[in-house]
Amino acid sequence: MKNEQIVVKATGLQKTYKMSKHNIVTALRGVDIEVRKGDFSAIIGPSGCGKSTLMHILGLLDRPDEGAIIIDGVDMTKLKEKKAYKMRAKKIGFIFQGFNLIPTLTAFENVILAGKYGGMKTAARKKRAEELLDLLGLKERINHKPNELSGGQQQRVAIARALMNDPAIILADEPTGELDSKTSLEIMSILKKLNREENMTFLIVTHNMDVANDCKKIIRLKDGKNA
Amino acid sequence: MTEIFRNMWRRKFRTLLTIFGIVIGIFAFTVMGSMALKLNKMIDGGKKYVTGQITVSPKGSSGYGTATGTLPIDTLNKISQIDGVDQVGALASLLVEEPDLDNASISMSEPPSIYGADNKSKFKNRNWETMTMKSGKMLDDKSADDEIVIGINIATDKKLSVGDTYKIRGRDFKVVGIIEKTMTGPDSYVFMSITPAREMLIESNPFMKSLYASGKLKIEDVNSMAGVTWKDGADSEKVSAAIKDQFGKDVTVMSPVKMGELIDKASATMNAIILGSALLALIVGLFSIVNTMVMSVSERTKEIGIKKAIGASPSSIAFEYTLEAGIIGLVGGAIGMGVGVLVANVINAKMADKGAEIFLIEPNFLIGVLIFSFVVGIIAGVIPAIRASKLNVVDAVREL
Repeated sequence: MKNEQIVVKATGLQKTYKMSKHNIVTALRGVDIEVRKGDFSAIIGPSGCGKSTLMHILGLLDRPDEGAIIIDGVDMTKLKEKKAYKMRAKKIGFIFQGFNLIPTLTAFENVILAGKYGGMKTAARKKRAEELLDLLGLKERINHKPNELSGGQQQRVAIARALMNDPAIILADEPTGELDSKTSLEIMSILKKLNREENMTFLIVTHNMDVANDCKKIIRLKDGKNA
Repeated sequence: MTEIFRNMWRRKFRTLLTIFGIVIGIFAFTVMGSMALKLNKMIDGGKKYVTGQITVSPKGSSGYGTATGTLPIDTLNKISQIDGVDQVGALASLLVEEPDLDNASISMSEPPSIYGADNKSKFKNRNWETMTMKSGKMLDDKSADDEIVIGINIATDKKLSVGDTYKIRGRDFKVVGIIEKTMTGPDSYVFMSITPAREMLIESNPFMKSLYASGKLKIEDVNSMAGVTWKDGADSEKVSAAIKDQFGKDVTVMSPVKMGELIDKASATMNAIILGSALLALIVGLFSIVNTMVMSVSERTKEIGIKKAIGASPSSIAFEYTLEAGIIGLVGGAIGMGVGVLVANVINAKMADKGAEIFLIEPNFLIGVLIFSFVVGIIAGVIPAIRASKLNVVDAVREL
């Protein structure tokens, strides 16, 4: 294989949530996952199988109770929240189901914000944000607020935002969940194109089999374990 | 920065209400503060004066201005013989206009008063030897009895300039000088020679009038108070004590230190008023901003989650919210201060006719008010901002 560099390697991930005194939910019971540079993988499984929890842990939004995570060669297992934000800004790009743009900011400002958090210089982030929005066909909509954009356009802004800091991996949580099938195909083709032409690494959480079948690799989860 | 204004504008009504709360607080602060500054300024001027001399007044009088008794010249001459005494300056003082008790009003400034001093005396207040003149000249040993020097408030109120004639209690006086604004007592004083002042003092008091008519009261005994200076090297308190020892039965002696202390107490009260109004503004403002910001944070949980997910540091989140609160404070403060200055100016303009400006508006104070309102906002923003920065990302993202 051309690209064998391991981007994400997680082993034995366990996570339980204490919802109340007598309600302890075990979300992950020992999940192993390995993502290589240029992968385009889907994580699938029934609801409650731990997909979202795995995504949060891999995205450094949450900590596992047990297990180890290495991203881009850096051991994140013991990483404190105080330092996690920097890794999130630089190494990980997020695409959410609900687009999740900041409503008070324009498309351009939303994209720029990620560059700011990633420590890019003002001029550099303006230039890159323009390039990315142009690449995603949003040149005309650059100064529009999210509520002035269609769902597909909003998701493309979110993709531009995820690409801003040239992350090691892009984690997409149901990226087409709120889109109609035509727009879903459009978004998926953008992601595939980025994977093909830019060698971007994607890990997509979905329960949509059409989306999963579009991916090169499928990781199945069941009851908090690899199935 | 623009995001902060857009965020504030998202909840226009709530933001405006919050700002309005600050406006009221800072308005009160500006107005009260300017009033206290004016009073402090007057008190300072008075302090400078009374600590520059030992003030002697007849027993039973209320001190300045409203003399009911007199200081016989004989007593004053004897005082000047006391060890350590340098000069004794007799003063005949009374109000320019007979107070109208039926139309009494409370005034922040001293009412226009006449100060008649012996122009030939060598007495000079140690702290206040000369007055800066706006026009004309100060009275001197060559001045005639019908010549007067007036304070700026009287000049403005009566539209007088040097050379004009000013009728006081039925007599014509010629204005020979106008004193530059001092922001304190002399602004509403009329300085004249002691003789006409003594005569008017007698005129104003039926009892003295009858005594004078019967020859029992000599004109040079009509002194409503006297300033006593001490020789260089002498101790003002010892000199005061010596005067009190000898003439304590007849006169009230106010020593510079004692008067200074009394005045400092009054200043402390003024400062307590400033501090009190500031505290009130602080509490009103603080709580309304805290409330608004806590609501904003819970409304924007999702946004905070997104920002954290894409790599915002906790401190940058905290900074955003603190700054937003600070700006609310600053905007409210600026408006409140503006309204306060406007109101103070309008009232001052109305009162200026009477020579009784209530407010002293100092640029430094206004800058202080602005900084204060910003700081109040910042303080109010700290707790909500910390809450925002500590928001659990997973919980926030789950709401997505």
